[in-house]
Amino acid sequence: MKIVVAYKWAADPQEATVAADGQVDFSRAKSAVSDYDAVAITVARHLGDTHGADVVGLTVGGPEVATGLATKAALSRGLDALMVVADPALTAAGSTGTAQALATALAGVDDIAVLITGDSSVDVGAKLVPAVVGGLLGWPVLTEVTAVAIEPGALVVERAVSGGTEQLRIDGPAVLAVATDAATVKAPGMKDVLAAAKKPVQQLPADPVVADGTLRSTARLSGPARRGIQISTDDPAAAAAELVSALRADGVLIGGQQ
Amino acid sequence: MNLIIVAGTASVANLVTTAAQLDGETLAVVVGSRAVAERIATSGVDKVIWFGEPGDRPLEAFAPAVAQAATAARPQVVLGGRRPAERVLLGAAAAALRAPALIDVKEVTSQAGTVMVTHGVNGGIAVTTREFSGPVALMVDGGGVAPVQGAAPIEETPAATLPMQVTAVQVTAVTEVDLAAAPRVVGAGRGLRAREDLSIIEALAAALEAELACTRPLAEGLDWLPRDRYLGVSGQHIAPRLYVAVGVSGQLQHLAGVRSAETIVAINSDPKAPVLAEADYALVGDLYELVPAITAALEQP
Ligand SMILES: Cc1cc2nc3c(=O)[nH]c(=O)nc-3n(C[C@H](O)[C@H](O)[C@H](O)COP(=O)(O)OP(=O)(O)OC[C@H]3O[C@@H](n4cnc5c(N)ncnc54)[C@H](O)[C@@H]3O)c2cc1C
Repeated sequence: MKIVVAYKWAADPQEATVAADGQVDFSRAKSAVSDYDAVAITVARHLGDTHGADVVGLTVGGPEVATGLATKAALSRGLDALMVVADPALTAAGSTGTAQALATALAGVDDIAVLITGDSSVDVGAKLVPAVVGGLLGWPVLTEVTAVAIEPGALVVERAVSGGTEQLRIDGPAVLAVATDAATVKAPGMKDVLAAAKKPVQQLPADPVVADGTLRSTARLSGPARRGIQISTDDPAAAAAELVSALRADGVLIGGQQ
Repeated sequence: MNLIIVAGTASVANLVTTAAQLDGETLAVVVGSRAVAERIATSGVDKVIWFGEPGDRPLEAFAPAVAQAATAARPQVVLGGRRPAERVLLGAAAAALRAPALIDVKEVTSQAGTVMVTHGVNGGIAVTTREFSGPVALMVDGGGVAPVQGAAPIEETPAATLPMQVTAVQVTAVTEVDLAAAPRVVGAGRGLRAREDLSIIEALAAALEAELACTRPLAEGLDWLPRDRYLGVSGQHIAPRLYVAVGVSGQLQHLAGVRSAETIVAINSDPKAPVLAEADYALVGDLYELVPAITAALEQP
């Protein structure tokens, strides 16, 4: 029995720069295992330990996802083995293209009990890839999953829903996107890092995937221009009075004009 | 032909109005109760396909039914909302059609077989316009319930569903909030040292007659506030007249949800906090001193 966990090697857009024409430049941002995918790996590891199952990582992306730096960073988080689909054509893949590459790789793996993913990627944050992967494989998909157990032929899942939680039973394999607080992530220790270097990494070829249309233009974000007024806070009461009178003048307080 | 996906709620007015602006008729596929299907039928769409009462099946179990309907309808544009089941069903349609899927859609037009989509990228730090000649799946904020308009026929189609079943439900929070409708919102961040300290933020919100919201860590991880109260790229999107960010660092994942506010006030003790650069009024200082002072100033006649 295998537990597969899909993760993304990605950089935080907080570290990207946006040019005047709206082009986003990630060249100086450092990539890592995307924050919430580390939660997914932790959940998968617990599940693997409980059931004596292999925990296999799967990632797809540009050539950089297959570098030793990237694969060791993922393996040191507790994976037993790794499958990597690295191809320049996947660098710019969108949610559907990424899901296609993941589904193709999964189709070649036997005896998968469950595919676990994170809540969303740090760079795109679409929360769509698990849904498309499930659609392509014909597997059930649930998101916001807070707990998973494997029973013979079934998965028992708990998930957060608006105003509470739900327990569900799923027959057969499924795609489960875990909630951001489904597990506490521990930083890998020295032993984990050393062990990572010896774990198997399987590189798989990439098939063509669908493109996100044809790019026509980019632009900077246009929101309301901010005024950037600093209110001195040396005297909190005076600062408060100044703020309140400014907001009142802006008409945004109770009774202000619409 | 364009398709809108409805999952459990008729609060999809934005999907209906977005579809109405496009070339071709609007088909709504409804997963959920008959009441939802009937409400959607009177929202201005041309036709409704309904898959029957879900019973103990989660809405996500209907993914193959939605996929089948999408394949049969061959839509140019598929629209779905941002709630969890809506995303899963939108993804199922995208998979069936091998259609690219985009989020944070700001504008979409279609003409003679091409669709132009303008959407935010990377948490909304920039926007991109793309052209599509084949089908495309787009995530759009659902909005409220559309006004009553027309009466489309409802076709009840028995659905093939996935083998999944809800076996138990626990209700914790009872009140659901509509942050999107609030004219004023106060957002609390991890600058708060303890859960009890939320009371000073609540007092400010009461004085402002504002709704209380938060950053993601306060709702997920700390569990100080319910999950439907956090703002950001993966949480609620708001466009109030006033947003007050208290002890919020202003990472772009949070700001993506509040950028459309008319006026932003930021209170933060770190002069380098990114939120201060995104504010109309920036107050650098200790929230434990400033917030009670502002509440008091608001309460003065
Ligand atoms: C894929 C992804 C999606 C995400 N989606 C979201 C999302 O939708 N919404 C969201 O909110 N976050 C989201 N996040 C998390 C986001 O990146 C930030 O981590 C989060 O918003 C930070 O929350 P915070 O501002 O409360 O905490 P922190 O970043 O810890 O900031 C706390 C702030 O409080 C200030 N402070 C401390 N003490 C005081 C004091 N006494 N007085 C005044 N100020 C004080 C500090 O200077 C600091 O700036 C996402 C992250 C990822 C990776």
